Amino acid sequence: MFRYLVRRVLYLIPILFGITLITFLLFHVVGGNPAAQAAGKYGNEAQIRALEIEMGLDKPLHLQYVDYLRQIVTFDFGRSWSTHQEISTMIMNGMGPSLSLTLPAFLLIIIISVSIALLLAHYRGGMLDKAVLIICLAGMSVSSLVYILYMQYWLAYKAGIFPISGWDPSWTGRWEYVALPILIFIILSIGGNVLFYRTVFLDEVLQDYVRTARAKGLGTVRILFKHVLRNALIPIITLVVLEMPLLILGSLLLESFFDIPGLGGLIYSAIQNSDFPVVKAMTFIGAGLYMIFQLISDLLYAVVDPKVQLR
Amino acid sequence: MRSIFKVKNLTLFALLAATVFTTACTSKKATDGENTLTMSVSSEIKSLDSIALGDLYTNRAGSQIYEPLYTYHYLKRPLELIPALADGMPVMSKDGLTATIKIKKGLLFHDNEAFKDGKGREVVAEDFIYAWKRLVDPRNGSDGYWIFEGKIKGLNEWRDKVTKGEADYKTPIEGFTAIDSHTLQIKMIKPYYQLVYVLAMPYTAPTAIEAIDKYGKEYANNPVGTGPFMMKSWIRGNRLEMVRNPNWREELYPSEGTPEDQAKGFLADAGKKLPFVDKLVILEIVEDQTRWLNFMKGQIDFAGIPKDNYDTAIKDGKLSEEMTSKNIKLDIVEEPDLTYTAFNMEDPILGKNRYLRLAMGHAIDTETMIDKFYNRRAISAQSPIAPGIDGYDPNYVNPNKKFDLEKAKEYMKLAGYPDGKGLPEIEYSNTSSATSRQFVELFTQHMATIGIKIKVVTTSWPQFTEKLRKKKAQLWGIAWSGDYPDAQNFFQLLHSSSISPGPNAANYNSPEFDKLYDKALGMPPGPARTKVYLQMRDLAVKDAPWIFNTHRTTYTLDHEWVHNFKIPPISHDFVKYIRIDTAKRAEKKKDL
Repeated sequence: MFRYLVRRVLYLIPILFGITLITFLLFHVVGGNPAAQAAGKYGNEAQIRALEIEMGLDKPLHLQYVDYLRQIVTFDFGRSWSTHQEISTMIMNGMGPSLSLTLPAFLLIIIISVSIALLLAHYRGGMLDKAVLIICLAGMSVSSLVYILYMQYWLAYKAGIFPISGWDPSWTGRWEYVALPILIFIILSIGGNVLFYRTVFLDEVLQDYVRTARAKGLGTVRILFKHVLRNALIPIITLVVLEMPLLILGSLLLESFFDIPGLGGLIYSAIQNSDFPVVKAMTFIGAGLYMIFQLISDLLYAVVDPKVQLR
Repeated sequence: MRSIFKVKNLTLFALLAATVFTTACTSKKATDGENTLTMSVSSEIKSLDSIALGDLYTNRAGSQIYEPLYTYHYLKRPLELIPALADGMPVMSKDGLTATIKIKKGLLFHDNEAFKDGKGREVVAEDFIYAWKRLVDPRNGSDGYWIFEGKIKGLNEWRDKVTKGEADYKTPIEGFTAIDSHTLQIKMIKPYYQLVYVLAMPYTAPTAIEAIDKYGKEYANNPVGTGPFMMKSWIRGNRLEMVRNPNWREELYPSEGTPEDQAKGFLADAGKKLPFVDKLVILEIVEDQTRWLNFMKGQIDFAGIPKDNYDTAIKDGKLSEEMTSKNIKLDIVEEPDLTYTAFNMEDPILGKNRYLRLAMGHAIDTETMIDKFYNRRAISAQSPIAPGIDGYDPNYVNPNKKFDLEKAKEYMKLAGYPDGKGLPEIEYSNTSSATSRQFVELFTQHMATIGIKIKVVTTSWPQFTEKLRKKKAQLWGIAWSGDYPDAQNFFQLLHSSSISPGPNAANYNSPEFDKLYDKALGMPPGPARTKVYLQMRDLAVKDAPWIFNTHRTTYTLDHEWVHNFKIPPISHDFVKYIRIDTAKRAEKKKDL
């Protein structure tokens, strides 16, 4: 197990190296000249040159890349070229609001969709199963923007059940503002999740151990939640754990419409503004988180399934 | 069918759902009774450092905190400069090369921890010079350097030396002198009659060295100005709160305005002490629907009209019944700006063939463009001179602009491409926004009517500007918002000294135009200079490096509890003039 862990961690290094290289080169190909952006509408050659020196863009590409690697190693990404804030502060400030929206939504989605999927697996082929499948498919075929626009209009503006938008940094005040986005997040995700979990559970409910358990006289709830759910944990873990980095990185549309100051819009506005320090920091963090959670997911396989051995 | 879920399982879900929903319905923010003005901006506020107030929204926020030497009269139109921190207008030497400016006495910086005992100290002349050095210092990366570049004695040299580490802030700049604690002298290389306009830009507001020493780069988050409001809190990308500056100098609401101002009640508060509101909240809301719904609910006191909501708000150019029934008011401002289609004059096809450019100009149906893209919130531009600016003539008709397909086809023949035969595809450089894409579709249709094939190349904004900078674009659409109400601000875009990578991206190079421009620069405002401006206008119309499209108009709605709402173009320090009837707001908001 330990050797496996060390090996996997060592594997991460070349992958991360590759990601940094691709990000770096892509930005230099398609990102425009950040110094020209910073010089503004009156920028002339001399000003742009002065800004290139200030931003370190006058150095040869390989030296700029070395600087980038140094920033990654030291976790000091410097300041945004656009807002002049410390990038670490921007990320820390944005993470809380993003997680306040995505984490509760995510947990509720798992609870609700797993429960519905178990129910459907139990009543597979029946009217309930078919009706829920149709609702899920219909729900998934509508654009997320439609849900956001209409639910904000009807539930917040017309009915006044929720605030239209806003944010309160206090732990008690913020829930008022994330409630509607959480509800929309759940509705947006529930269809796909239910279909996925239903497929996973259908594979299990037809297994011999379920028939045996039933023959032993165990109740349906006990069979579904104790036996079926446990045996279906591997695909569930894969889905759940690999979605974790996305939770931290936030939701661009929901944060944007509900004016939540999370990380969702950070990369988007950084690309728009040629804000390379922010782009590279967020890309690296996103990729790093994805790989870490992938590793966690592999480790969890061994925990939940004794047949899996990590070597 | 057996029930597989017991009551306790369902209870768990019910509790979770109830938690979310009940929190949503509680703890509403109670600001209705407070003397607060709430406004929104449609893009993030990037910084609150005075030298970084380059974009519209950042400027709008910063202009409440910082004050320059001059500002614009709130009510008078056309815009009229008046002193802000200056004690009178500048006194110019006979040769027009030296400006002497007195500063009001007793002006205080905001109270801040940067000062001894936290009390803001008095503003002196050196605070302006320090601020201007910061603006010019390349290490600070300000995009406002252009206002002084090449115009002030010793300034470019100081900047070069600072870049090389051979000078610092103690090194004097010959052109900036503090004659005494309250008198500034500015020496120019050549007459620069626009100086007084740039001294009305918040870039030039005084800066306290103590604040920079304390906050360093974090000054962008901890601004210390002299304005009517000071920052209280700022959640980046979300909400900026300011409170009234208790030490603000005494300024009174204006007693003069245009003839219509009296009828509209804009002079009812004449002579009253400013500002009227105690608190200002600026919400950074990027989505149109979110901003609109907040306004309609009374959460925002005034707002622009998003394109998708235009038909709800305006019918036949007037407020709709829905709006009038809510006593919502409409404020219309003709912006000193210009949207235009530019030709790369160094392009071997477009740049060398004036008839081809004229043909394209006559093939554009500007009225359809105004209908489809601006909801009639624009007027057809006939020249580079925008409304409200000296030299603008609302009756002037550009002979090379009128939508006339027959004439366009004649010009195509003269250009050597009858019905477009033999003309290669023209590349139109475009950005990826939805509006730009729709605009270029219409442009392509218009060009097709005279046989011109357009190939659209879409890129991101940074790539687009890079193409212009490197002279790689052939044809594109762009806009320019005036920085000050002087036609020179638009004409400089056509001067050969500013061709790419400067703002003359069309690379128009006319010695005749340059000569007129240089002549006008040395002339004080007046009829003689206006005459030269009109000559430049005619030359730009004749050579046609641009197709003049529109001058945009801003429609802003405000609620019935908002008083004195007459936002001037260019200037953004308007919040201090606005009064809120808090009792009416509290009462009326219930019905919205």
